Amino acid sequence: MKHLESLFEEVYQSNYQKVYRLCLGYANGDGMLASDLCQEVFIRVWKHLASFRNESAMSTWIYRITVNTCLVYFRKKRTLPLPQLNEPIEDEIEENLYHTKEENLNSLYACIEQLSKGNKSIILLELEGVPQKDIAAIMGINHEAIRVRIHRIKIELTKCAQK
Amino acid sequence: MRAKMTSFEEIKSQWKDQKAIEIPNNGHKIIIDKVNDIKKKQKQTNIILFLTILVLIAFFVYIAAYKYLIVASALLLMIGSLAVRIGLELQSIKKLSRLNVNISASSFKENIISYYKNRVHIHLIWTPIIILIYSIGFVMMLPSFKASLSSGFYTYILVSSVVILVILSFFIYKQIMKELSVLKELTDKNPYL
Repeated sequence: MKHLESLFEEVYQSNYQKVYRLCLGYANGDGMLASDLCQEVFIRVWKHLASFRNESAMSTWIYRITVNTCLVYFRKKRTLPLPQLNEPIEDEIEENLYHTKEENLNSLYACIEQLSKGNKSIILLELEGVPQKDIAAIMGINHEAIRVRIHRIKIELTKCAQK
Repeated sequence: MRAKMTSFEEIKSQWKDQKAIEIPNNGHKIIIDKVNDIKKKQKQTNIILFLTILVLIAFFVYIAAYKYLIVASALLLMIGSLAVRIGLELQSIKKLSRLNVNISASSFKENIISYYKNRVHIHLIWTPIIILIYSIGFVMMLPSFKASLSSGFYTYILVSSVVILVILSFFIYKQIMKELSVLKELTDKNPYL
């Protein structure tokens, strides 16, 4: 049990950021919701950790649990306001840069929100840099089909982000 | 002015460049405690339900309800229908918590659709039957209530039962609509995963 607990601590520490970012994508950038989802994911990771058999990499296993947990997560639609393009420019460069980043991220979340849940999962995994072979295994779709879909979603997302 | 992201690579680098969130202190411990808490609460719920059934049976024997056929049948219908409803609900909760999340998203989606279809089946077929049986039991009890209770209390029971039925129906309706929309989202919005 102690060994399992220390393994879980390790898994938690090394995957929390990744899982949180993914949850944030599902939660349309809402930090509170992302934390709740993240907690739900790690509850499931802890419950199933003893049955993890090294058939896949630990990170792939965790991504699979994250995607499935977020798939059953339904909430009232909440739309983040799209950034206003003509807002006054800040004086300080750093602050300006920070705002630009925030605005870009909000606009990205809004674009991701428009995708279907399946496409959302695929593109979030792609953004996280998960290899396409692993995305195919996580989603249960063959590699070639995933490749084509990623290409299509990339075009869709880029078009939306350019608006 | 916001600098637009013009390529996917730019989007990806923005994504990677997100401000890192602080990992909760002792977060893993909190999760383990939470899981233990959930298990403890489940055990407590089971004990409470078991005790409730025992109390109802004891009450049934105490008032010697089995000697009066109509009262006995009415009580059995009411208690039985409630017990079936609680049983169905517990079974659903158990089924949902036991859904295997360690499978591919497409297989998981199939399982979750089957779960929600089962829920809709319960709501649309079992729930109306259960409410009907419960109401029949209640109506069968009315003459005994009238004979043994004051007219004011009898009226109170009659009116409150209708109000409770209306409120309950409203909540059941809301729940049905919620689960139907979940099912619709799962089946319509994602023609394939």
